[in-house]
Amino acid sequence: MFPSKKPTMNSHERPMCVQGDSGLVLTTDPKPRLRWTVELHDRFVDAVTQLGGPDKATPKTIMRVMGVQGLTLYHLKSHLQKFRLGKQPHKEINDHSIKDASALDMQRNAASSSGIMGRTMNDRNVHITEALSMQMEVQRRIQEQLEVQKHLQMRIEAQRKYMQTILEKACQTLAGEGMASVSYKGHGNQGVIHVGAMKDMGSPMSFPSLQDLHLYGGDDQLDMQQHMDRPLDGFFQANEGVCLGKKRFNPYSSNGKSPLICADDLRLQELGSAAACMGAQEEPSKNDQLQIASSVIGGGIDMDSITDVYETKPVLSTDGTGEKKHEGSPKLERPSPRRAPLPVERINPMIRGGTLPQTRNISYG
Amino acid sequence: MAVAMEEAADLEISGCNSNSTIDDNGCAWTDWSPVMDWGPLSADDDFRGLIESMMCDDPTGLAPTSFDPYWNSNPSSTTTSVGTSPVQEPRNGGDDNEKGLRLVHLLMAAAEALAGCHESRELARVILVRLKELVSPAGATCGEGGTTMERLAAHFTDALQGLLDGSSAAVGGQPASHRDDLPCDVLAAFQLLQDMSPYVKFGHFTANQAILEAVAVDRRVHIVDYDIAEGVQWASLMQALVSRKDGPPPPHMRITAVTRGGGGARAVQETGRRLAAFAASLGLPFTFGQCRLDADERFRPGGVKVVKGEAVVANCVLQPLNAAGTRRGPGSVASFLSGAATLGARVVALVEEEEQEEEEGEGDFVGRFMGELHRYSALWDSLEAGFPIQGRARGLVERVILGPRIAGAVGRAYRGCGEGGWGEWMAGRGFGRVGISCFNHCQARLLLGLFNDGYRVEEDGPNKLVLAWKSQRLTSASIWSPPPPPPAPADLLPVGAVSNSMEDSYLLLD
Repeated sequence: MFPSKKPTMNSHERPMCVQGDSGLVLTTDPKPRLRWTVELHDRFVDAVTQLGGPDKATPKTIMRVMGVQGLTLYHLKSHLQKFRLGKQPHKEINDHSIKDASALDMQRNAASSSGIMGRTMNDRNVHITEALSMQMEVQRRIQEQLEVQKHLQMRIEAQRKYMQTILEKACQTLAGEGMASVSYKGHGNQGVIHVGAMKDMGSPMSFPSLQDLHLYGGDDQLDMQQHMDRPLDGFFQANEGVCLGKKRFNPYSSNGKSPLICADDLRLQELGSAAACMGAQEEPSKNDQLQIASSVIGGGIDMDSITDVYETKPVLSTDGTGEKKHEGSPKLERPSPRRAPLPVERINPMIRGGTLPQTRNISYG
Repeated sequence: MAVAMEEAADLEISGCNSNSTIDDNGCAWTDWSPVMDWGPLSADDDFRGLIESMMCDDPTGLAPTSFDPYWNSNPSSTTTSVGTSPVQEPRNGGDDNEKGLRLVHLLMAAAEALAGCHESRELARVILVRLKELVSPAGATCGEGGTTMERLAAHFTDALQGLLDGSSAAVGGQPASHRDDLPCDVLAAFQLLQDMSPYVKFGHFTANQAILEAVAVDRRVHIVDYDIAEGVQWASLMQALVSRKDGPPPPHMRITAVTRGGGGARAVQETGRRLAAFAASLGLPFTFGQCRLDADERFRPGGVKVVKGEAVVANCVLQPLNAAGTRRGPGSVASFLSGAATLGARVVALVEEEEQEEEEGEGDFVGRFMGELHRYSALWDSLEAGFPIQGRARGLVERVILGPRIAGAVGRAYRGCGEGGWGEWMAGRGFGRVGISCFNHCQARLLLGLFNDGYRVEEDGPNKLVLAWKSQRLTSASIWSPPPPPPAPADLLPVGAVSNSMEDSYLLLD
């Protein structure tokens, strides 16, 4: 018999409970949750003890032993976890005091007595402990992920730089062959295609831009940062007409820092975790620049070492680095504020998916 | 909806069974599509009626089936389930889809005609002519116009045509039409491909991370690279080595590139120079060397100079995207992998294209052909999904990089030398599996997160990550540790003796 219980003092408890057909008490809020009534908990504890304790018992075996209809593994898993955690504080007492028996009893009594207060307190402890440990876990994972992100960005950047050196050489060769920069067309068909393709992407040479294409829905021809080389100046000039004048995102505004980290800041704040500040860089200004790619290192920057960018120069101002400005466009400035929300929503896979899903993209916990 | 998708998949794939069914039970055909009344056709013991009906241009003849995003959807990943009767609602975009469907049918029929039970080169020729008509007006062969399906079909048509003509493509050489590709076009296309798809980076980064972990405390690292191409992979490894924290200072990095000699060697030398320059810019001590393959493309570990105290790593990326585009034979790869063991490599990183699952197990040409069709259409799709409006860029990539690969793949399928599955080969030879770390997993996921949603990372065993586009596996990276090297070649067995050692005959026959 599972009497419906009145709501307890815990603020998080649901106000309304109904008794299901199976005898289980379910709440009526939008997501029906199982209420672990004292009786049910009793049976649970019995089953667990029967199986040799919370560490030995598994949700499956508990389910079998309890034999309650409608009880799923999911319910049991989470309840078992809480139970285990709840038992922890008691365990210490067990270890070094004679009171262990009574401690155990306390646990059981708390659970089985009709003293809701007792159970509530236990619950609360359990919840707090559980919440704390979950929080720590989440923080740890976030930190790990930040690490990985950071490294990933550096690596992507390194690869990009290297690709540039290849392309530079190729272009230099071409330039050396007396080809005017604009007239790749000199090669006839293929040249035209090539130019077309390049125009399409704005420039294949600037890697991160393509990502931005994706990020920003590709609905514009992003004109890519033209940190390209002299020989191609003319080429880009020619492009200008096509690319400029459109609504343009500046993918590469100032900061060279991993924007993902910024996004994480936001996300973490959402999570209410103190981890928000950890590992991340401090500039609040970065919050509106959410670009994933390691972009800033635009243009002819001769970085001595890539690590410099990330480690010693948290804010890499576009002006300061001598990169070539994109002709005539103001986009080296801060992007317009309207862009801010966009990245937050779209770009960051971290943010995507909302809560803490274990998606393939991101998992905070 | 999901059911419909599955059926669409069935629709597509059941064709693979066709070689066994056209005459005997014809039921696969009849079951296959309600669109046409196959009854009278299958009674003909012969393909022609079938083909003719497909080739007629009458759109009403083919009721619009929802050829849907078969290519875009999640077909059940097993490619060839037996076709059951797919009943589809007509779609609004029916026309395009119809056409796409028709192209697929025709391609399949052509493949059938080339190598199936009912081989008939004449028929194949006819079908190919028809195919060309269908795809070329869209300018598809130039790589720009036409729908995705048309362009894809155009490449496959060319490949099949090559087989028919016995052109060099069929023999594994470079398709003639692509020889005029400018190197700068190729490079640009390569760059584009890297930017548009995680295809390249996935393999590189996963391998690099594993290598990094394997040599975490070493002062000297020696990488033997089977196919260095432009050396793009190593840029990020260098960067990672330079910035590793809490460890020894950046190690001395040595790369030995395995080359074929001749023109290839020059390109590789150039790559070496570039890498050296890059390393210098990072402040990483670096040396570069080459090791030539034998005339028969076998790798001899003896050709690699190993310094005492260095950690040797073998890297085998079987995803040629460079200009050469031609693969080396399986014997060569096998010799390399075995040789890695002889050299005492600490890990072997393998990046290869994922094998298409083959239904029948017979591995006939049609099956493999369809497998390649699926693979490349997934690739096509993935590019399109990510960059829908950048048609020209995609066109360039398709034409310059993917097209030749299609030709090669079809050629190989025809000759029956399936190349994939080196992982299995290694497992069979006693290579151990090296687990992929959490960091690596995480990195792969994050990397994919930078691209379109449709990409997924799958885990195939503890040591292998697979990049998939909507359940179609594209490429994989796996990490292995070689078994202890066999006794030194000093114990040569007499030539011709059966050897149980791992290298089989590759190294001992001398």
